[in-house]
Amino acid sequence: MNLPPADSPYFSPAEETMPRERIEELQLELLLEMLPHAYEHAPVIRAAWEAAGVTPRDVRTVDDFRERVPFVDKDALRRFRDERGDPFGGLCAVPPAELTAVNSTSGTTGDPTLVPEQWGAGGRPAVITRDFWGMGVRPGDHVALVLFTFRGPVYGLFQGLGTVPVLFDFDPAEMPRLCELSLRYRPRALYNFGSVLVHAVRDACERRGLDPADVFSSYRAVVYAGEPLGPRARALAQEWGVELFEHTGVGDVTAAFECHAHDGLHFWEDTALVECVEPDGRTPVPDGARGELVATTLFNRVAPLVRYRSDDIVRVTRAPCRCGRTHARMWPIGRKGDEVVVQGRPVLPVDVWGAVESVDACAMGLFQVIRPGPQADRLRLRVGYAPAWDGRLGTVGDEVRAAVEAATGIVPDVELVPDAALLRLGPPHKIPRVAPR
Amino acid sequence: MTAAGAHWGVGCYEGDTGRVAWEISHDEIQREMGAAPGRLARLGVGAGSRVLFCSMLSEAGQFWPLMVGAMLAGAQLSSADANEGEAARVAMFTRRLPYDAVLGVTPALLDGLDGLRVPYRDVFGGVRVVGARPGAYERLAAAGLAPHRFVLAGPAVAIGAEPGGPAHVDEQEWRVDLDGDVVCVTNLRPRATTFERTRTAVRARLAGGGIVPSAGREP
Ligand SMILES: [Zn+2]
Repeated sequence: MNLPPADSPYFSPAEETMPRERIEELQLELLLEMLPHAYEHAPVIRAAWEAAGVTPRDVRTVDDFRERVPFVDKDALRRFRDERGDPFGGLCAVPPAELTAVNSTSGTTGDPTLVPEQWGAGGRPAVITRDFWGMGVRPGDHVALVLFTFRGPVYGLFQGLGTVPVLFDFDPAEMPRLCELSLRYRPRALYNFGSVLVHAVRDACERRGLDPADVFSSYRAVVYAGEPLGPRARALAQEWGVELFEHTGVGDVTAAFECHAHDGLHFWEDTALVECVEPDGRTPVPDGARGELVATTLFNRVAPLVRYRSDDIVRVTRAPCRCGRTHARMWPIGRKGDEVVVQGRPVLPVDVWGAVESVDACAMGLFQVIRPGPQADRLRLRVGYAPAWDGRLGTVGDEVRAAVEAATGIVPDVELVPDAALLRLGPPHKIPRVAPR
Repeated sequence: MTAAGAHWGVGCYEGDTGRVAWEISHDEIQREMGAAPGRLARLGVGAGSRVLFCSMLSEAGQFWPLMVGAMLAGAQLSSADANEGEAARVAMFTRRLPYDAVLGVTPALLDGLDGLRVPYRDVFGGVRVVGARPGAYERLAAAGLAPHRFVLAGPAVAIGAEPGGPAHVDEQEWRVDLDGDVVCVTNLRPRATTFERTRTAVRARLAGGGIVPSAGREP
């Protein structure tokens, strides 16, 4: 790997700051290579195109692509998988015997789907590397990784950059060790944090008499993902002098990270063609407006998702960023399938999050919106509380109802359950925020 | 490309008084990667096999060489965390695809399957080699399966060559002995972290040159 000078703000200056016209030329070039491959080799893409009466010959421009190419979504992949008995949902575009690995999606929104991978196939742009370089990580630095393993060996990307990963499980019980090893190795970045871990760090520091500001003094960047970080966790991080960077996946195709400007999350447009369309239609929404993220890979020939409707409600802008990068930015808002319309008002988990967290007993921000269907007469919430509040649940319920009414204008029905009961439902940064009952 | 003197990473092992961080060099990882295809071949894992590794990120120092070894041998690999919340993922993998081996099954994963009311047989019945850690091994055996012992003896990975047999470490790399019933490890080749009869969380007896963990003790 050729490294830029250590004082370069960009890992790949030419790519990260290329003019928009050049980004668009490159995208068209990559797209016109990817589409025939996907059509020929990924059966679910072929089936969707045949149903729409489209072939790769019909696509010469990005406008043709937008007008003619059909969408696919997670349901289409699951349906293909179940109807055709294809474990990869018709997405695997290389002979299965040639795969290196079969990993899986997070499965937060249902059964995880299989992700076929071929390592060392090349062509993968330096996603993550560009982002962490931009945050100030350099060869020789230690980087604290707090991750699950289901996505495969993400640490390899950090070793490839010449940094030394310090490895932790994504588990609040690991936070005392994180504090201790942060003081020993003085890492430059932490990937990946979440509200539950922030509170666990606070508790660990209290118990051990550590100063969180000292624990985090070496960190240039603390990256969090999976869920919005609530106001309480944010305030704590700020108190500790931590610079937070939000991170999210981009329609199972690529990833997006905040830069130092903290004005949206960059995704690298040489990895994906991202569209933002009306959630119930196919019309593109204007730059900066709320819509559904639709992603097409420009590099993954093993699992070539084309016009994949992510179910993620986002805003996207292509205006250049203050950091000097020209690639687009997005703001995650919520999931389309999580929205419940109550008394004519659309409610997403993010709309009640801050309200729930503002109640002391519910500071962990653990809750579920009960969504029996897209519409409901009442807003029903299942909310976690800390064990110390066991004897005062009447008060806690009143406080939650008042806070949620102030935030949404709707008085909710609130079922209180111990935090531990909700934590059991999933990995802590990603308990299902919506439940059917 | 590696910064001069930079390690592969800082991993974690279970010592007899809790979790211990250990620094791992690129050289030792390389050596273990080189040995791993041979270790896996003794389980019948090679070209065309598919292996699911159940591990936590903090255990990557122990698991990564095996994973690369599987890849070098021409096998396909999958990964899941080895905790309760990942039981559904593990069950999903073996339901959707045939696996020759699932290595690193923990009691927590089995707790998760219990919670989902999924019988162990449904998940592991079709898997030729189930490498189960202490505590999980006994439960799978009680369910009528024939697991192999899979033991993280601190930093050293020990695997049983056959169902019911003792678990062996790589004897080029590690010497194992007991202090009472506590398994201690000593590194035989240079490592970034030196182990000299270092006490691990594993309680066991030694038999046939391998480790037979005491029932009911689980690191
Ligand atoms: Zn920027």
